[in-house]
Amino acid sequence: MLYIAVLLLAAGCKPRPSGQVTSEPSTRTYAARGVIRQISPDRRTVTIQHEAIPGFMSAMTMDFSVKATNELSRLAPDDEITFQLVVRENDSWVEALRFVAHRIEDVTNGVVLIHVPTAELKTGDLLPDYELMAETGDKVHVTDFRGRVLAFTFFFTRCPLPDYCPRMSKDFAETRQLLLNTPNTPTNWQFLSISFDPETDQPAVLASYANYFREGNPDRWLFASVSTNTLADLALKLDLMVRHEGDGISHNLRTVVLDPQGRIYRQLDGNQWIPEKLAEAMREAARSQPGVNSP
Amino acid sequence: MRLFLWGALALSGVCAIGGWLLFATLNQSAKATSIPPDHPRQLVDFVLTDRTGRTVTRAELAGKILVVDFLFTSCSLTCPAVNRQMAEIQRLTTGQADVRLVSLTVDPRSDTVPVLAEYGQRFGADTNRWLLLTGEKKVLHELIAKSFLAQDADDPFNYMPGNFSHTERIALVDAGGQVQAYFDGLRDDAAQAVVAEIARLKK
Repeated sequence: MLYIAVLLLAAGCKPRPSGQVTSEPSTRTYAARGVIRQISPDRRTVTIQHEAIPGFMSAMTMDFSVKATNELSRLAPDDEITFQLVVRENDSWVEALRFVAHRIEDVTNGVVLIHVPTAELKTGDLLPDYELMAETGDKVHVTDFRGRVLAFTFFFTRCPLPDYCPRMSKDFAETRQLLLNTPNTPTNWQFLSISFDPETDQPAVLASYANYFREGNPDRWLFASVSTNTLADLALKLDLMVRHEGDGISHNLRTVVLDPQGRIYRQLDGNQWIPEKLAEAMREAARSQPGVNSP
Repeated sequence: MRLFLWGALALSGVCAIGGWLLFATLNQSAKATSIPPDHPRQLVDFVLTDRTGRTVTRAELAGKILVVDFLFTSCSLTCPAVNRQMAEIQRLTTGQADVRLVSLTVDPRSDTVPVLAEYGQRFGADTNRWLLLTGEKKVLHELIAKSFLAQDADDPFNYMPGNFSHTERIALVDAGGQVQAYFDGLRDDAAQAVVAEIARLKK
């Protein structure tokens, strides 16, 4: 049970309570989890080996109808998913199918391998919307920045290693300076530094940290924090590593540039990139035409 | 329902930490012991790249006794501790031509060839005896999952590429490619225990 809860968390999915009554009194919706075994060629039927659906049925493999056939377009057999089972008096179907991991049963060593590469975002992929807590104390969504090129990275204020968080903030500061000082640079850009330590990095803490690196100039650079729940999904999408060790957090570095449509334009891994490279990517992304970069 | 789940999660977290502390305290007082594999595990084929940019395959390591650990260079506490033990194993097995040390990254997007080159230097890794390997994430994760670690680290506050558990362990592979034992790489006496087990394997 705990395991299921954790997986649902990892999928960033908010399951409705079992048997919750929706708008129509005769419609019931159940949150469930399983592995896709087969998808029909017309994408109207999916065979799912599912776990027990509390209050409805025990674990089994069965065919389910799919109403919105595009729900299956990015899924394949052996994908582990979470889904909602909707049951009415005369029919039933599955919806809100969410990818969790790809499973491979390895017969030689008897291992179930769990791959999540299809969850990882590539260039051209749309970043889903995520809610963050801004340094101002207001909630902010990544989609609020649509229309601008958005460069974001991750940090936490207690991070002591000069090569990690402070380096990212210094590199952002330098990149912003480059964009501000170069003539004929598009102005539709924005920086966002995201803390994955929401407990410590309350808005006031973020604001004072931000002021230090922004040198008092808040122009187009926001600091925010992300909740543990939201991070579970974001980590899969961006190949983030976040691990609490002792008093600190070990983490890798992922810096992402979104185009004005909110699609991944460039991902800079680690700390070896230089501000000129990020500035260049942001200028290119700002000038890219809608649709040109689409997959 | 949700409150209950969160409560259960929080409680199990507290228990896990408490249990771990207790276990760690008890454990540290005794001598390092080998941990058997969860099921028979064999080293599978792979094609990876070492920190000099050279291609390394399983064939190159055939017939060697392997000491294997798992790293992500962004890890600030556990990995350096484990790699200090690896460095000690390298020192204690100097001159043993049939022993190789292998470090596999779980985070290849971060741990590129130049990043591993620097990391290897930091621990005094001998390029001929201690291979730090990176490559395609799929290849690395398949190798680690099939031959070494379970992917069941269900911790809602920690996220790691591959979701591997026990990345702090050092694995010992015999000359036939069979995983013989694991050792807790966070223990100060892990290196001695590994070297003793290597001597036993050679008898």
